[in-house]
Amino acid sequence: MKEREIDELLARVAKDAPAVSPALLESIAGSIKLSMRPVRPMLPAWLLTAGLILIAAAVALAGAARAGLYGIERLTAFERGLIFPALVLLLWAAAAEFVASMVPGSRRRIHPGVLLAISCLALMGIFGGVFRDYHTTHFVSAGIACLVAGLAHAIPVAFLSWLLLRRGFAVNPVAAGAVAGTLAGLAGVTMLELHCPNFQLLHILVWHTAVLPVAAAAGALLAWALQLRAGFRYR
Amino acid sequence: MSPDGNLEILMAAYQGGDFDAATMLIEQLSPQLHRFFVGQLASRKDADDLLQETWLLIHKVRHTYRAGEPVMPWFYGIARHVRVDHYRKTSRVALYEEQVEAPSELPAPMPETTSSTAEMAELLAPLPESQREVILMLKVEGMSLDEVARATSSTVGSVKQKAHRGYERLRERLTAMGLSQVRGGGLS
Repeated sequence: MKEREIDELLARVAKDAPAVSPALLESIAGSIKLSMRPVRPMLPAWLLTAGLILIAAAVALAGAARAGLYGIERLTAFERGLIFPALVLLLWAAAAEFVASMVPGSRRRIHPGVLLAISCLALMGIFGGVFRDYHTTHFVSAGIACLVAGLAHAIPVAFLSWLLLRRGFAVNPVAAGAVAGTLAGLAGVTMLELHCPNFQLLHILVWHTAVLPVAAAAGALLAWALQLRAGFRYR
Repeated sequence: MSPDGNLEILMAAYQGGDFDAATMLIEQLSPQLHRFFVGQLASRKDADDLLQETWLLIHKVRHTYRAGEPVMPWFYGIARHVRVDHYRKTSRVALYEEQVEAPSELPAPMPETTSSTAEMAELLAPLPESQREVILMLKVEGMSLDEVARATSSTVGSVKQKAHRGYERLRERLTAMGLSQVRGGGLS
């Protein structure tokens, strides 16, 4: 059977589909009539993306400045030139994707899971190429402190990002939550790179990068829980 | 002017609070959205409910449409969300509800499906949900690959793959059923 024949069959079946009852259309129009008023469309995507990057950068910089900019002071110009542009690029990708996930019918460039995987692998690749200290002094205690600090800075970024995009509508809340978490996690990693003076490779590879999947998972889980709650309330 | 251009103008007027524009949008797009639901559910009553729910949600989030963006993916993105949400809720309700045997003295319920809705559902039944919705948007509603990708929050490559796999399954099923039977009307 040829594709054209299947097309014709689908067209025939679609043509025979039942018409919508005029009473239903009237009822729909009537139900929206009372609340009809002008609305202000959402801001352009580029402006929202820029706003999200600004929020992430501001929180990371403020947090690192408060805790001390020891990390960036110890980095060479070459290392800074590799790490920070990569973080800005990933922040831009996550911010653009978050905006797209909050506007129905937007063009999606990357799946949330792929974005998370690429972000983790890119950062691990850069860290692996830059840092050469293979010691593991206070691996767990120092690591947990960094993970907590990174996540503590991801929380305000996630909250402020939600405030900026609160007028949006996520057609897939769990995916939107994961992307928001990735964006917030990247802000947390940026704060750690600015602040953390511990340049042991394993510490950075494991604990700094871990902020990303933990924040993304927390974002997805929170969105799922809110969706579930809304579903039960609806019943 | 292209149909999409006309819809864009109507959307702008709708956002500006023009009730006539909203009514025209409802009249123009409802048959398509209804067909989209029928193609997935086969129950006329469910499709009616979903259509109503979709328009209420469209009205609530109408500010999220931005001028210059394609209109159809915006509508279908919301319609798809309503369908998925409805499926999730009904599954949850079914899980908690007790199965009660219908009393024998009650009259038999009126059939909810017409022959054409049943036909469409039967034709697309062997397809997984993701392939079915892509085929419906691409082949029944005539949307472009980019529009379907936007409506389903995926990439053009993924849409192409789903459409290809869906067609393969349809071809296998229709060949097995016998083409002459299909052409003669009536799928089963």
